[in-house]
Amino acid sequence: MESHRILKESQIMKIHYVTGIAAIFVVAVHILMRLIVPFELSLEYDYIISNYKNIFYVLILESILVLVSVHGFNGIRIILLELRQSKAWENMITVVTISAMIALIAYGTRTIILANGL
Amino acid sequence: MEEIEQPSRNNLEGLKGWLNPSRYGWERISYWFQRLTGVFLLLYFIGHVYETSTIVNGQNAWESFLELTQTVWGHLFLILVIGACTFHSANGIRLIFTHSGIGLGTPGRPDYPYSPSSLNYRQKSGIWIALILSAAAMYYGFNILFGE
Repeated sequence: MESHRILKESQIMKIHYVTGIAAIFVVAVHILMRLIVPFELSLEYDYIISNYKNIFYVLILESILVLVSVHGFNGIRIILLELRQSKAWENMITVVTISAMIALIAYGTRTIILANGL
Repeated sequence: MEEIEQPSRNNLEGLKGWLNPSRYGWERISYWFQRLTGVFLLLYFIGHVYETSTIVNGQNAWESFLELTQTVWGHLFLILVIGACTFHSANGIRLIFTHSGIGLGTPGRPDYPYSPSSLNYRQKSGIWIALILSAAAMYYGFNILFGE
């Protein structure tokens, strides 16, 4: 019954914890980038575009996108699996959450790539 | 001998059970907050990814979207996000320790008044630290957003 699973639930929980801890660090860097200049200035178009052209910051943004999406959608999956248990429900929730996660990562990556070229 | 029927594995109370505050202890409040803040932060993150995507449409599109969010209500919403993010992170670290067996105490004989050793002062302090840190972060965020 369990043999076809790619990852065990215990392994998924480890991924959940690792992505959570890693997200704290990269989100902290993201917030610091808003605080090293006055807040109003940090939201100005030219400043934001210059951020997107900084390769180090682009990697931080992409990491945030992947880590928070994986952590967040797995969290939603865990909540929904606690509400109801059946094989069909579990498969449906897993497919929906993974699809939503991929869609969000793709959309955010598109923004990073396009803004980097502006 | 009559066979005992196995109860359904489904969570029959569903969301109603999840949101019912009548049986709350500190651990249950923290469980509830962890989930509420998690769902709230994911919704905010999706909105934030969409909001920042307007920058690819040029300066006018970016500035008109900023006008929607850089308001008093927008700033109050951001302060809520800061508080939720800090609580979720601090309480999440406590949960990782707890799931690893750290801070649970040693098992003991269940004597009256049957206080479980796992729900000890370390767990309660962890929840309080998460709440205090999130209040401090919200205060700091308030000063940044409304201070000038």
